[in-house]
Amino acid sequence: MATTETHSPNPAGTQVVVASSRFKTLISNQQFILLIVWILMVIGFSLINHIFFSVGVAENILLDWAPLVLIAVGELIVIISGGIDLSVGAIVGFTGVISAFAMRSLYEGSLAEQPYLVLAIGVLVCVIVGLLVGLINSLLINYAKLVPFIATLVTLGACSGMALVFTKGAPVMGGPREAIALSPAWIGPFSRPVLIVVVVVLILWAFVHKARFGRYTFAIGSNSFAARAAGINVKRHVTKVYMLSGLMAGLAGFFFYLRLGSGAPTSGLGNELDAIAAVVIGGAALTGGVGRVSGTVLGALILTTVTSGLIISGVDPQWKRVVVAALIAIAATLQALRKTEGGAS
Amino acid sequence: MFGTSKASRGLIVAAGAATLLLAACSSSSSSSTTSSAAASSAAATSASASSSASGSAACDVTGKKVAFVMGAESDPFFQAMKVGAAAEAQAKGMELIWQGDAKEYSPATQIPVVDQVLAQKPDALVLIPTDPKALQPSVAKAKAAGVIVANVDTKVEDLTDVTTFITGDNADGGAKAADSLAGAIGYKAGTKYKVVVGLSSETATTNVARLEGFKKAIAEKYPDIEIVDVAYSQSKPEVANTNINNWLTKYPDLNGIFAIDGTNAQGAAAALQAKGLAGKVALVGYDAYPDNVKLVKDGVITSLIAQVPADEAKQAVDAVADALCGNTAGIQKEVVIPNFTIDKNTSEADLKKYTYVA
Repeated sequence: MATTETHSPNPAGTQVVVASSRFKTLISNQQFILLIVWILMVIGFSLINHIFFSVGVAENILLDWAPLVLIAVGELIVIISGGIDLSVGAIVGFTGVISAFAMRSLYEGSLAEQPYLVLAIGVLVCVIVGLLVGLINSLLINYAKLVPFIATLVTLGACSGMALVFTKGAPVMGGPREAIALSPAWIGPFSRPVLIVVVVVLILWAFVHKARFGRYTFAIGSNSFAARAAGINVKRHVTKVYMLSGLMAGLAGFFFYLRLGSGAPTSGLGNELDAIAAVVIGGAALTGGVGRVSGTVLGALILTTVTSGLIISGVDPQWKRVVVAALIAIAATLQALRKTEGGAS
Repeated sequence: MFGTSKASRGLIVAAGAATLLLAACSSSSSSSTTSSAAASSAAATSASASSSASGSAACDVTGKKVAFVMGAESDPFFQAMKVGAAAEAQAKGMELIWQGDAKEYSPATQIPVVDQVLAQKPDALVLIPTDPKALQPSVAKAKAAGVIVANVDTKVEDLTDVTTFITGDNADGGAKAADSLAGAIGYKAGTKYKVVVGLSSETATTNVARLEGFKKAIAEKYPDIEIVDVAYSQSKPEVANTNINNWLTKYPDLNGIFAIDGTNAQGAAAALQAKGLAGKVALVGYDAYPDNVKLVKDGVITSLIAQVPADEAKQAVDAVADALCGNTAGIQKEVVIPNFTIDKNTSEADLKKYTYVA
């Protein structure tokens, strides 16, 4: 599907000029390029070690991909709106430990016989806490007039600090043991939680590209003054955008809980950078108004494929950073090329 | 109260050399290093070998200020250390100043903390240096201000100005992990075994020493065990989990895992449970966090190598108190406290003693 998608609407209203060369058409389709890059990676890693081409590895990659794509799509929406959300990684850890505390006390208390109810409450806690932090972000931006970078830096520090203080640095266990039992693959390489993430991402795709929510987001990111003049309640929409991002991070926090059977204050630390990397590799512009969910999905898939690929190949996984850096450089260059190619606005 | 605390002192003093210790006590020599991993079993029995026997005149340290500057407040290891320090300081009537960065283990954040603590004019400074070189000037500064300095857990490069250095024996811990792992996989010479090691940091001295101790013991005693992979998690359990997940796919015949600290043990335990391999692949972890001790009881984690941070702190307080009284004769320049292996057979009493307070 990604191969046939076209370049997203340009903020300034410029259209990609009728391709003057095949090359230009090609580089304008970020999703197509990403798909090729990903396929080449899979082939390359499989040649290095044939075990890479297996359901087991696919399962591992998807387990990493799911939480990353959740926060990355949330981040994408913020970035399309012209903002940035640095707090998502901290929200992952924070919601993870808060819901772990809640689940532990319920599971050791009145709800010991109902593990799945406890887990459902755990999801709810993650969602509520994520939404609240997102709300605080938007209040800081809308009313304290902080720029998004600073506002979300504030909540990043507050959330990761509180997670450490509340837990004294130790993981919080003691919730339902059924959590880890949900992680193994169910259909092919897909576990139940991963399938739910796929559904969530599809819903967000429709939200961003097929609904008014998305149109408003692109409009604000392209030119917030024009958006306001057109009658969009910018403050209210910005609030929705950051709350959505917080919600996604909260869900990622719960996903980590399911994987580890515990909430750890260090979980998600620095994940905002992975999310931003996935978004940028996916072809979005940090200046706002440009981006596609399918690009971010592929960006996240490439990042997690690199992680597993390097481990399976026996290469020091630290090389991942270098590979990611190179991918970002290439993606950003293509982005810049597209901009100049788009012509004067 | 002074007497009782002295009696219990050195409870698990550096096994390696109970004799060496005694020798050092009787002579006034202040240089003894006990890093031998071999005689580790002497651990708890050497309690009476405490250096406190060296005829100290009861001297009152009441009201003296002892400052601890540790690595990162968030780490349960330091929390456990704080408990030991607070208890001993209280027993001696000393005032405890406990400081350190909230979460960052780095000289950049630690050096200003040391300066700030020295401004409070403590009588003694127990420093857990986050870098052997970067904190050297801080030690010199304290010494110049007439403050007695001790190092715990990690040390500065040049120990000239340091009264005593008390540390857990990480190399010994690594060796104990190898023993435990070999036992769990039923090591027999002639059969080939595959194990992996999950670490947090490539540079932290604890990680390095544990890995070295582990490798050395494998090479010497269990040559048919092959360490097929190592990787680093940056203290994030989900990264440790990813590493183990992929290794379990890559090596379907994997025999064992050495998880070098708490977060790696957590990530590895989750991976084994999710893949239905708990109890089938041996998992030796490190650090006796309460939840990990629970996993030992459940059979997910084969064994845990535990340090005794509370005891390290206690001994440090004792040593600086002695130094404040001028009783330098009984103070060891370096005290190495061996680690302890917790497994299914560990008694409740020992579990209580070694599990960290979080």
